[in-house]
Amino acid sequence: MATPTKYPTAPLKCWPKAKEIREQYYKDYAQAHERGGIRWSGGAWAFDAVPMGLGDDVHVMTGEPYAASIAWDRKFAQECQDATDARGWSRDLCSYMRIYWGSMYLNRFHFGGEFPKPNFYYQSQICCSHSKWDQEASLYENVPYFCIDVCVGPYETLDEGRVNYVVNQLHDSVEGMEKVTGRKYDDEKLIAAVHNECRSTSLWAEICTLNKAIPAPLDEKTMFSLYVLATLQRSSKKVADFYEELRDEVKDRVARGIAAVPYERCRIITDTQPPWGFLKIYRYMEQFGVVSIGSVYTFGLEGIFAEQEDGSWGPRKTPQQLGIKINTRDEALRITADWNLSRPCWQHFYDPRIKTRMMLKMVNEWKLDGVILHLNRGCEGLTVGSMENRLGLIEAGVPVMTYEGNMADEKEFDERRTVSRIDSFMETLGLKQIPEAVALHAA
Amino acid sequence: MITTGIDVGAKTVKVVLMEDGKIRGKAKVLSGFDQEESAKAALDQALVEAGLSREAIGIIITTGNGRKAISFAKGDVTEPRAAALGAVFLYPAARTVIDVGAEESRAIKCDANGRVLDFAVNEKCAAGSGAFTEAMARALEVPLEELGPLSLKATQSIPMNAQCAVFAESEVISLIHSKTEKADIARAVHDGLSSRVVAMVRRVGLNTELVLIGGVAHNPGFVESFKRTVGLDDVRTAAEPDFVGAIGAALAAAE
Amino acid sequence: MIEKFKQWYDSRHSYAKEWKERTGGKVIGTFCTYVPEEILLAANMLPARILGSHEPQDVTEPHIFGMFCPFCRDSLAQGLKGRFNYLDGVVLAHSCIHFRQTFNSWRIHLPVEFSYYIPMPNTVQTEHARPYHREEVEKFQKAIEEYIGRPLTDGDIDRGIASADRNRRLLRKAYEYRKLDNPPLTGEEAMYMAVTSQFIDKEEHSDAVEATLNSFADRKLPRETGIRLMAVGSENDDAEFFKMVESVGSTVVIDEQCAGSRYFWNESTANGDRMARIANRYLDRPPCPVKDYPAHSRFQHVLNLAKDYRAQGAIIMQEKFCDPHEGDNPRLKKFLEENGIPTLSLEFDSTNPLGPFRIRVEAFLETIRGEELF
Repeated sequence: MATPTKYPTAPLKCWPKAKEIREQYYKDYAQAHERGGIRWSGGAWAFDAVPMGLGDDVHVMTGEPYAASIAWDRKFAQECQDATDARGWSRDLCSYMRIYWGSMYLNRFHFGGEFPKPNFYYQSQICCSHSKWDQEASLYENVPYFCIDVCVGPYETLDEGRVNYVVNQLHDSVEGMEKVTGRKYDDEKLIAAVHNECRSTSLWAEICTLNKAIPAPLDEKTMFSLYVLATLQRSSKKVADFYEELRDEVKDRVARGIAAVPYERCRIITDTQPPWGFLKIYRYMEQFGVVSIGSVYTFGLEGIFAEQEDGSWGPRKTPQQLGIKINTRDEALRITADWNLSRPCWQHFYDPRIKTRMMLKMVNEWKLDGVILHLNRGCEGLTVGSMENRLGLIEAGVPVMTYEGNMADEKEFDERRTVSRIDSFMETLGLKQIPEAVALHAA
Repeated sequence: MITTGIDVGAKTVKVVLMEDGKIRGKAKVLSGFDQEESAKAALDQALVEAGLSREAIGIIITTGNGRKAISFAKGDVTEPRAAALGAVFLYPAARTVIDVGAEESRAIKCDANGRVLDFAVNEKCAAGSGAFTEAMARALEVPLEELGPLSLKATQSIPMNAQCAVFAESEVISLIHSKTEKADIARAVHDGLSSRVVAMVRRVGLNTELVLIGGVAHNPGFVESFKRTVGLDDVRTAAEPDFVGAIGAALAAAE
Repeated sequence: MIEKFKQWYDSRHSYAKEWKERTGGKVIGTFCTYVPEEILLAANMLPARILGSHEPQDVTEPHIFGMFCPFCRDSLAQGLKGRFNYLDGVVLAHSCIHFRQTFNSWRIHLPVEFSYYIPMPNTVQTEHARPYHREEVEKFQKAIEEYIGRPLTDGDIDRGIASADRNRRLLRKAYEYRKLDNPPLTGEEAMYMAVTSQFIDKEEHSDAVEATLNSFADRKLPRETGIRLMAVGSENDDAEFFKMVESVGSTVVIDEQCAGSRYFWNESTANGDRMARIANRYLDRPPCPVKDYPAHSRFQHVLNLAKDYRAQGAIIMQEKFCDPHEGDNPRLKKFLEENGIPTLSLEFDSTNPLGPFRIRVEAFLETIRGEELF
């Protein structure tokens, strides 16, 4: 058998910076009150630019990445879920939510010390579970809850009335936060935050688009540690600046033909959050020369895409790139509403065919050989319509594999069975393990 | 050239020795705690049946849930692949292979060469495998091998309302206490199992060129229920359904 | 007279087919009680809520995976099995994630002439929801007009509103009788009465409720009322369950659930124009947990019902995997108990093991009786 091509690889130079940003983020949140600042908690999909108008010392902790961090620590993850189960909550609820609540009930902060109580919760209502998440958290902590309803249908049918509904709620939330915090809102800070938000998410989309290159400069497992910054606080200048640096580095990797997976010979995408405690399955697939170049989730949870001039999928142009100046609060809120409503990961909530079209676009433009769908029992929001996506992909002739699991509750993930399925899928794709890749892995 | 296929299942280890497309010998033993020991024992038995010595056999390929536990094998193939190869060898027209085992069931869509095109495995909340009938047999206090024939004596179909295997056990007990005929309960148990299996099969597409394999295909109650659930008068069942995987592994060894 | 409702429930498909033949009208399947039926009634259509059949099924695995609620899958199964092949269209008002899948799989795989998705707001308890939903109801009206090829007049809309409200009013009246010491109808009968209003011609249904109300004066049930119970749920039309509960010494005197009182509890009121009147009615109705924001008023409503109907206990019927209700129930349970209403929680599937359930219900009733003694 011919030895497969081995591409050159290189570690990411900006990797340590990503780690540092993340660590500082949680420190800032924990210490916010000591410094006289404000802290709020909510979802990674909350309009995080909006609370930024309250000052320079506003710190956020988004629930999903926090829970995902805990999920890597399987012991603490189990303790948190047990604490939630003990209070009568169902085990099939969103596993992030169960972990977050558990950490709150146990009053233990994953990064040390007591669980930091936020001044308020700020959330977007797109997922039934998310909205209940912060409703319970705000009741437990006895703090206000701002929930912005964004269920206005898919972006392709957005009209003025629908945008107004969202914008009006955002306006109300500004007044509400002023009352709660006693601070005067600063529209300039909001405007800057909106610009940064657009920059972060457009840059992330650009980075994902660079993964069209063969070999792929990034693999999905690595991307998890990079996209997460946008889920922490996409409207922060620090995150936007980092993505610019990352984009430049990835461009350079493409120019030099640097691969994420040295024996890349088969490209796939996955779907939804991975089973966080078992990311080794990605490394396992690399032994077959398989690289996951991303997913609608990794790309579009925060990345904002648009159709390019040539009809391909790529980053949406930011207001700044289009020469649009934001002068007023209303303009800023309108832009952030429209920008977020175009999020790829919000479209399947209305019609699975929209997501299937996105996936097929990825298959064609990112040159994919197959798709692995994680039927994630821990997240109903991202799995809605998964089976119809599968049917749509199969109809288009794309090889698809599914496996059931849970992003954060390891009781619902069977490693042996999943690896067995991956083996079967590899057989279907005509792939055997590459001895050199196996050796690399063992080393 | 003689090739060997070893199917290391949850409950039993099956061995098949093949030469030039013909089965020379086979054996089945309980898996027990030491799968490798059991595999050796099964292999020895098969060799005796074939009148061969260990040195005479060539490549050994394993399959089944313990396929990686056999150190003396050359390699392994996954269960779907083994099932498809074995089924098409026995029944060239087979295009959907339904493998119902003790612990897991799977549906495989394949082509004329036994190549796997798609597959589905029983998921949580659709647990349909032999373990279910075993638990229900215990609840009914009927030996497992008698459960199927008992169900064929049923005079009515009653729905099994509990869809969780744990609840199903207490439902069976309730049915016993309400003086429901054991035969009717047995039929309900098989209907529950076949419904879950069919639900899984639909994911790869149900077509008539199907064959049932795996240990549970021995169960006439399950086969009868399966026919009723899919609405077919006749369903092909492998003559020795639990050896199909090992046959497939032996064929893979010859490739 | 009251048996009529059970007959309708048991033969809903032949009813709908016969209705189509008789009236020449269109039958529109709905998946959620937030669909503004007034518009469908104005267009002389039959709104027919799609429900499951409480049988195990094996056809939905390729479409909705097992983690989603059995009810949404049971409902889709009915479509895939061809039982609703008389439907001309399907409409969904945005509510839970589970039913969105049923709706989408339905319109992708089953032939319907008309399908429409209404992006109904979830934070219904804010002022901004009002103009927004009003606009969406108007868009829905336009879509229906385009479908039928003619505009709906003010008279049509008024007729639709009146018909829906009449039915709601009558059902409320029927429920009032359940406040009596010895209600003239059981919870099982009330369930049939309420759930059938979701797929039977509104006027016919209202006439039947009216006739039934007239019969109440003379109706004495040959049974003891026993312990007065409340049923709190997701969607629940498991008649066998209600029958079982009422056979062991209790009567379900009130419910707060999707296929029961939440559907018809409030009438519309005149405020703003016709579209606003319709939209506001849905915004102001007792909320499903998906829509109980930001005020979170559902708990108080449940408690008020329990007090008004003198419920001695509540059975919380949690549909398996139904996240919105799972997100409420632990707190709701505590809230009811703190306010003197003991609760029993049961997890429901599309079919349920009545034997084990019975044991739990009996034990629950014993506890209540025991508390009464002391």
